[in-house]
Amino acid sequence: METNLVMEGIKFMFLGMGTVFSFLVIMIFVINIMSLIIHKYFPEPHVADETASGGSTQKDNKKIVAAITAAIAHHRQG
Amino acid sequence: MKNIVIKLLASMMLFACVFSVNAMASEHESSVQKLSAHQEETYQSKPFSQMITGFLKSTGIVALVHPRADELSATGKPMSDFHKGLGRVIMILVTFLLFWLAIAKGFEPLLLLPIAFGGLLANIPIADIAGPHGFLGVIYQAGLSNELFPIIIFMGVGAMTDFGPLLSNPKTALLGGAAQFGIFGTLVGAVVLAHYGFVDFTLKQASAISIIGGADGPTSIFIATKLSPELLGAIAVASYSYMAMVPIIQPPIMRALTTDKERKMRMSTLRHVSRLEKLVFPVLVLMLAILVLPESTPLIGAFMFGNFLKESGVVERLNDTLQNSLINITTIFLGLGVGSKLAADQFLVPETLFIMILGVIAFAVGTAAGVLMAKFMNLFPGHKINPLIGSAGVSAVPMAARVSNKVGMEYDRTNMLLMHAMGPNVAGVIGSAVAAGVLISLFQ
Repeated sequence: METNLVMEGIKFMFLGMGTVFSFLVIMIFVINIMSLIIHKYFPEPHVADETASGGSTQKDNKKIVAAITAAIAHHRQG
Repeated sequence: MKNIVIKLLASMMLFACVFSVNAMASEHESSVQKLSAHQEETYQSKPFSQMITGFLKSTGIVALVHPRADELSATGKPMSDFHKGLGRVIMILVTFLLFWLAIAKGFEPLLLLPIAFGGLLANIPIADIAGPHGFLGVIYQAGLSNELFPIIIFMGVGAMTDFGPLLSNPKTALLGGAAQFGIFGTLVGAVVLAHYGFVDFTLKQASAISIIGGADGPTSIFIATKLSPELLGAIAVASYSYMAMVPIIQPPIMRALTTDKERKMRMSTLRHVSRLEKLVFPVLVLMLAILVLPESTPLIGAFMFGNFLKESGVVERLNDTLQNSLINITTIFLGLGVGSKLAADQFLVPETLFIMILGVIAFAVGTAAGVLMAKFMNLFPGHKINPLIGSAGVSAVPMAARVSNKVGMEYDRTNMLLMHAMGPNVAGVIGSAVAAGVLISLFQ
C-alpha cells in the first residue's frame, strides 16, 4: 500500500508532464499555423496601404509616433 | 423620553461616584433594569472593583499570558495553550518580519503587506477577527473558500499579459512547460517523504503542496482550496513569499547551470506580431483547453477572457477596470483572506515547515528544469535560446522574466533578455494552469 503511494506519485508525474508538454506542443503548432494563415490572408492593413498610397496626415502621425517609439526603445537599449 | 434621559444621566453619575458604589448599587440596579428590556438581558450591574478586575481579565496581556480555557480557534476547534499564547506572539513577530521584507526589501509588497497585516489581525486574542463572524473570516468565506478571488485575479493578470513575445517565438513555450517539472517533481518528493513516515501527507495534500512549484499564486490558492483546504494558509504563504523571493532563489541556480558563454548569448530580434494574431490567440488557446482538458478551463478561461478584452481594443473601460481597480480591490481582499490563515493554531504546525521546504525545492527544481530545457533545445538546429530565459518558465509574471533580464545584464550590459523571457513566462502561466487541470482531473 505504501509503495503504491510513491508509484502513484510517479504516475502523476508522467501523466502531468506529458499533458503539459503535449498541450504546449499542440499550442506551438496551432500558433504557427495561425500566424501563417493570418500573414497570408489577413496582412496588417497599414503594411498593405503603405505601398498603395502616400498616406494622409493621420498616417504620417502614426509613422512619427512609431519612429519616436523606436528611438526611445533604441535609446533605452543602448 | 425626558424621564429616560434623566435616568441615564443619573446612572452615569453613579458610575462616576466610585466611593459610594456599594451603598448605591442596589438603587442603581433598579434604575438600569427599567431602562430597556434588551439592556437588562446583556448587562448586569457590578460593583466597580469587580468591573475593574473583569476588564483587566479581558485585556490582551492577560489573554496572552493566561489563555482562556474556553477560547476556540477560527475553525471552531479547541486550541492548545501554546497556540493561544506564545504561538500568537511568535506569529505577530513573524508578521513584523513580513512587514520588514515588504517595506524595506521590496518583496512583493502589494501582496505581502495585506497578507502580513491579515496575519497580524488573525492572531489577536479574544477579538476572533478570523472567526466565522470576524471580518477576515467573512472575507475568506466570500471569495477564498469558493475560489472566486483567484479567478478574478487571473482575469486581471490576463488583461495585463501581452502574448506578443510568445507569439513571435512560439517554441519558447516549451521552457514554460519544462518548468512545470517543479510541480510534479515536488509531488513525488512529498509522496516519498510521506512514504518514509516523516510527515503524514495524503496524495491530495501532496498535490496541493506541489502546485507551489507552479509559482503562480492564484493557481496555488485555487488548487489548495479544491484539494486540501486545511493546508491553504501555509501553501498560499509559501507560494507568495517564494514568488517574492524569486530574485534570491533563482540567480544562483541559473549561474550554476550555465557557462559564461551561454549567459552572454544574444537572441535574434522578435518579429512583429499583428493585432489579429493577438486577438485570435486567446480564443484559440481556450478552444485547445476545452478539447484537451476542460478541468483547466476555469483558470485558462478567466485568463483568456481578460486578455481577449484587452486585445479586442473596443472595451478600453472594462480592460482598464480589470487591470487596475478590480485587481487592486481583489488583491486587498485576497491578501487579507490569506492572512486570516496565518493564525497560530493553523500555521505553527509541523506540516508548515515541510510545506515551506517542499515549496522552495519546487521553485528550485522548476527553475533548473527550465534552464536545462533551454540548453537541451540548443542542441537542435534553429534560433539559439539563451538558457537564462529558461528560468522564466516558472510563471511568477513578470518577476521571473525580470530576473532573467537582470542576470543577463550582469554579464553583458547591453543584452536585453526581458522581452525574450516574457515568452516562456506567459507560457508558464498556461503550463501551470494545465498542470492544475491535470491534478484536478486526477482526483475526479
